[in-house]
Amino acid sequence: MPSPPPDWVKALKPGGPQGSELLAQERAQSNVDVEKLSELLHTKEALERQDKLVKMLQPEKVFDKSQNHSLGRVERLKRALAKAKRLQQLAEQNQWSMEDLHAANELIGEPTPYGLHASMFLVTLREQGSPEQHKLFLERAEKYQIIGCYAQTELGHGSNVRGLETTATWNPDDKTFTINSPTLTASKWWIGSLGRTANHAVVMAQLFIGGKNYGPHPFVVQVRDLETHQPMENVYVGDIGPKFGYNTMDNGFLLFNKVKIPHINMLARFSRIDKETNKYVRPTMPTLVYGTMTWVRSNIVLQSGGVLARGVTIATRYCAVRRQFQDRDADPNAGETQVLNYKMVQVRLLPLLASMYALHFTGRGMMRLYQENQKRMQAAASPSQDSRGPGPEELRAGADLLADLHATSCGLKALASTTAGEGLEVCRRTCGGHGYSSYSGIGPFYSDYLPTLTWEGDNYMLTQQVARYLLKSARAVLSGKAADNDTSRILRNYLDRRDKGASFDILEEDQDIVDAFAWRTAHLTFEALKHRDAEKRSWNSLLVDFWRLSTAHSQYLVVKNFYEAVSSPELSQSLDQDTKTLMHQLFRLYALHTLEREAAEFFSSGAVTVRQIGLTRTTAVMKLLDEIRPHAVRLVDAWAIPDWQLDSSLGRYDGDVYPDLFRRASQENPVNDLVFDPYPWNEALLKNEAPKSKL
Amino acid sequence: MPDFTDKLRPSQPDGPTTLARERGQSNISVDELSKHLFSVDNFLERQAQILPIVQKEPLFSKEKQQNLSRVERFKLGLARAKLLRRMTDRHRWDHEDYKMAQYLVDDVSPYFLHMEMFVTTIREQASEEQRAYWMPLIESWKIVGAYAQTELGHGSNVRGLELEARWDSSTKEFVLHSPTLTASKWWNGSLGRVANHAIVVAQLLLPKPGSPVKYVSHGPHPFIVQVRDMKTHQPLNGVVIGDIGPKYGYITMDNAYMLFDNFRIPHSAMLCRYSSVDPTSGAYAKPEQPALVYGSLTYVRANIVHHARLVLARAVTVAVRYTAIRRQFQDRDGDKNGPEMSVLDYPTVQIRILPLLATAFALHYTGLSMQNVYQATRKDIEGGDFRSLAHMHSMSSGLKSLCTMLAADGIETCRRAMGGHGFGGGSGLIQLNNDYLSKPTVEGDNWMITQQVAAYLIKKMTAAVESVNAPGTDETDARFKEFVRNKQSAGSNQPVYTSLSSDQDIVKSFELRATALAYDAYEQRVLKKQNWNSLLIQLHKLSKAQSQSILVATFFEALSSDKSLSGPAKTVLCDLFRLFAYYTMENEGYEFFRCNAVSQSDLNALPSRIQELMARIRPHAVNLVDSWKIPDYLLDSALGRYDGRVYEDLYNRAHRLNPLNRITFNPNYWDEEIVMGTGENGRNILSKL
Repeated sequence: MPSPPPDWVKALKPGGPQGSELLAQERAQSNVDVEKLSELLHTKEALERQDKLVKMLQPEKVFDKSQNHSLGRVERLKRALAKAKRLQQLAEQNQWSMEDLHAANELIGEPTPYGLHASMFLVTLREQGSPEQHKLFLERAEKYQIIGCYAQTELGHGSNVRGLETTATWNPDDKTFTINSPTLTASKWWIGSLGRTANHAVVMAQLFIGGKNYGPHPFVVQVRDLETHQPMENVYVGDIGPKFGYNTMDNGFLLFNKVKIPHINMLARFSRIDKETNKYVRPTMPTLVYGTMTWVRSNIVLQSGGVLARGVTIATRYCAVRRQFQDRDADPNAGETQVLNYKMVQVRLLPLLASMYALHFTGRGMMRLYQENQKRMQAAASPSQDSRGPGPEELRAGADLLADLHATSCGLKALASTTAGEGLEVCRRTCGGHGYSSYSGIGPFYSDYLPTLTWEGDNYMLTQQVARYLLKSARAVLSGKAADNDTSRILRNYLDRRDKGASFDILEEDQDIVDAFAWRTAHLTFEALKHRDAEKRSWNSLLVDFWRLSTAHSQYLVVKNFYEAVSSPELSQSLDQDTKTLMHQLFRLYALHTLEREAAEFFSSGAVTVRQIGLTRTTAVMKLLDEIRPHAVRLVDAWAIPDWQLDSSLGRYDGDVYPDLFRRASQENPVNDLVFDPYPWNEALLKNEAPKSKL
Repeated sequence: MPDFTDKLRPSQPDGPTTLARERGQSNISVDELSKHLFSVDNFLERQAQILPIVQKEPLFSKEKQQNLSRVERFKLGLARAKLLRRMTDRHRWDHEDYKMAQYLVDDVSPYFLHMEMFVTTIREQASEEQRAYWMPLIESWKIVGAYAQTELGHGSNVRGLELEARWDSSTKEFVLHSPTLTASKWWNGSLGRVANHAIVVAQLLLPKPGSPVKYVSHGPHPFIVQVRDMKTHQPLNGVVIGDIGPKYGYITMDNAYMLFDNFRIPHSAMLCRYSSVDPTSGAYAKPEQPALVYGSLTYVRANIVHHARLVLARAVTVAVRYTAIRRQFQDRDGDKNGPEMSVLDYPTVQIRILPLLATAFALHYTGLSMQNVYQATRKDIEGGDFRSLAHMHSMSSGLKSLCTMLAADGIETCRRAMGGHGFGGGSGLIQLNNDYLSKPTVEGDNWMITQQVAAYLIKKMTAAVESVNAPGTDETDARFKEFVRNKQSAGSNQPVYTSLSSDQDIVKSFELRATALAYDAYEQRVLKKQNWNSLLIQLHKLSKAQSQSILVATFFEALSSDKSLSGPAKTVLCDLFRLFAYYTMENEGYEFFRCNAVSQSDLNALPSRIQELMARIRPHAVNLVDSWKIPDYLLDSALGRYDGRVYEDLYNRAHRLNPLNRITFNPNYWDEEIVMGTGENGRNILSKL
């Protein structure tokens, strides 16, 4: 690393008020109880865990982050594997729970090559394996004696699972399956942890019995030798190469040349082949296979708030420290203005601050729904525990909830991950030029987060599922056979009042804001229904309408969840009056800012008037920005993201932005070790180095 | 090594088959349209001539560069820059040829600042005498230069710069000094490791007349300074320089930090074409036109506007070709057993990509027009006429903000529309995205600089109101006056535009909205004396409306005056014009409606009109992107290849070009070993740094 700078440089301080002074001033002007708010958001237990883990992990050299952005792909992956191993050793020594391991991974701040083993591989074995398979695969996997991944998407096929080309053909003679890749596009692709790390994979393949296709099913396949770690015979496996982000993960490709696996390797909890009769045994609950996807999506929603919080924390603190231009109307001798005081910075940043709270509370609501559903489904799907099978009323209720949850999770996953992903880029740009430096901590994190917008169902494709569900619900409401749930309620309410028209007082009544969002969703639903059923328009021609509908519905759900959270007794009990008021202001900012951006739909659905939109834009949102501004720094402090996790010069808790940027540039930057020869006619790149060719 | 995968083929219909069908279904002549786009400056001929020369050089192979570390990637970037410069001599390239080669190689050159801002500043701001001394040194590359303005704590606000240049009348020297850490120069390209000279912008401090111990600041001024030793290439005594570290993109650029410790430079170092210090008396001579100091910045902004079209066209080319080939899900109303649908047939994909295709054309015409305005204004200025300067400054600021936003967001929209593979290294959009994302915040932050547009328009509106019945002095003035007159006459006299049936009305409608917003801003600021800060969001919207109006008007004007295009091409271009305009109008629907620039029934009809236009444009999409003639070498994209062999190329990159696949890892966590059989563990890996 470069030698330290001369003394005259070391002696320099930033000009003007110091970052630490500016942040102290920010913190002094707000009375938000940061600790109480943190506990409400994360629980005391989680905060203590985080403290403990930071103290344990940060001093270890192997977890050093300073070179992350300077290394090449191969070196980065080597280091990521070293980190993953060390984490697993620590997990064993300290008997970490799942939550501990998860929190530790979050702090490390980058995906590791064990990522898919620890998540999707274990989850799939657990949820879709039979007891016998648990013994054979799951127990070894939990001890890392086998390391696996989840191989579903293919080179030519993403979200459409039915389009997969890999085949698993049942051989009745020797009771085996043959796994095969008939084309190049059948190659498994993007499979995390598979490229260089895993020796097993859960492979989704089209099941063929006697020439008939039974659709995609999961199979456990060993892909590498446990001793040499070389690919098994007739298996072709490797890493797919450098990516936009996620470069510490070995996303892999995988091809099979007629590989045989035994009967036991088809995960058989829900559907299986009878070894004796060679017959396919149908799953009792066909939709349960999608349970894992729903879980993953719910998780994405829950995490999106925290993801956005990282960007907003960095941008808010930095914009409080960074000063630029004098206020045109202020005393010409006054210092430059804190950037956070500019309305055009506030209007980008503060609605995102509100969004991170909105997404967090919505995610919590969804997780609760998912867990309730799991309980019901488990009870229904395990009749062996009981002497009788599940009654139709139990299955019906479970299926209703699943349909609702599935649709909700699709739409919210799309909205939440888009909000978080695009929000990070907004935060980065709000930081101006320094946002472009890797030391801002936003850019690399953004690159790693971006695949979330296209994986587990592309955000645009997913919106069709929401539309399908809403159309079905609308038809049920019209025929009087609707399920008793919130979706039916808002649709029915709209039909009842449609002729009278809505007159929501969005500027005064919080509940009316929620109702206006519900109204817009219901209006768009019946419009879409008219296009589809009465005008008989093709599904394809309506996709843009469906996408708008899904977005509207998901925004309604976020607004509703946020409102319920800020009005909940739980929140009332844990926060003081001022902070509670502030939470309501954040709710209003999120809701009204969204409403203003989608003005045309609110206006044309008759939910609000043009005058109300005008007032929202020029008065209500501006007033909320003024009200929230003084509390901005404390509101991000409450997320309690440790500096080590942020890994950002700009977002440091202490505000020492400039000394830290300078330290990293001059002391942690390997480029400064080199003295170049700048002249084009000298082929040598470095002073005193002979020219040589490496490429 | 041959293996069973060599024999595998993609499933049918494959990429080449699909693209052949796409190309066959459109009656647009690709060559005709290319000529229309690029006939102005021999762009295509130049590209055809330079491309094979560049592609022959092994050093310019892009195959493995994504895997390199920052240090290695920077070295490669410098090696390429050197070679390009040598090739310029070898092949007797002119500057346009060189720029073409640079564009095709697609690395940000560590020489960029030497060849652009450094030389431009000398040319524009140095005195005759200074030019005579420095230009030969620069042009012969005896010195390599950079441009150092931005500081660690100070960006767009040039007046806030902290670096001092204090006049020492006893020695007739300036003393450069960084009084604080935030005074450190920062982000200055080509300076971190490469340049040995720099234009340094510093606060000029001169003794207060009559009191030699007190100094007065005369604001920021440019100085030319040698900063590294010509032999050892080490920073001179009293100067600290380095590279600022890894960034989101621009990996081959050595953006710098630089600090001075009472560093002395001669009187001749101050560039004195416009303002100067008398060496004997220490008296300051003011520039006649203070705005001229920002001349170079305007030049850079105009260039950025001109370049945006090629950037977006590149992203759209990849996205259109790949989404035509990529198939996903059967049509719900169609044959359940048929092949999956081409993703580009989904309206949800069209609505993301086709408006961007239209935007690329809109940017094209505006980029050309911006270049023309810049050239004309420069000519005026050289002739001593400064009247058009404010207009150009405002136009370049507003367009820089809007066009870079459209292009930067457009790349990302295209990338996401391609689903998972858009994230992969084979998309060809990664380095493009990484490099281009600097643009929204560089050379004037996209949000900050819109204030300049708004301030200009408020001034124009104030003038229009003051002499409302006088004839218009220029187009804007005439439009403003007409608006004010209509407003003042009894009843609402504003005309009604029917944008859905008249293309001319589209232009008028955009102008009306921009004018109405300008009037609002004037009313708030001038009449109601509203605080500037409270208006910033509104002012930003005004700037956007004004720039969108320019894009729409220029697009329309280009099509109206064109005589060269045949019927089919003209028809599709008119549809693209409408798509761009309607799509923009729909997004800003509330603003248009509120100022009566569009009726509610037209507003309600926009979504279905947009979908109809997309359906009409869709069959021509591949031919339309083909006409931009972006070579595969530049695209460097498995997804966007001209021949459509997407999956073969993705596989080739993963399988054969990926250095990671030459390494076997030891996956067991209880073994410290990382690479199997080598014993290399975490500590060895760390100690290499």
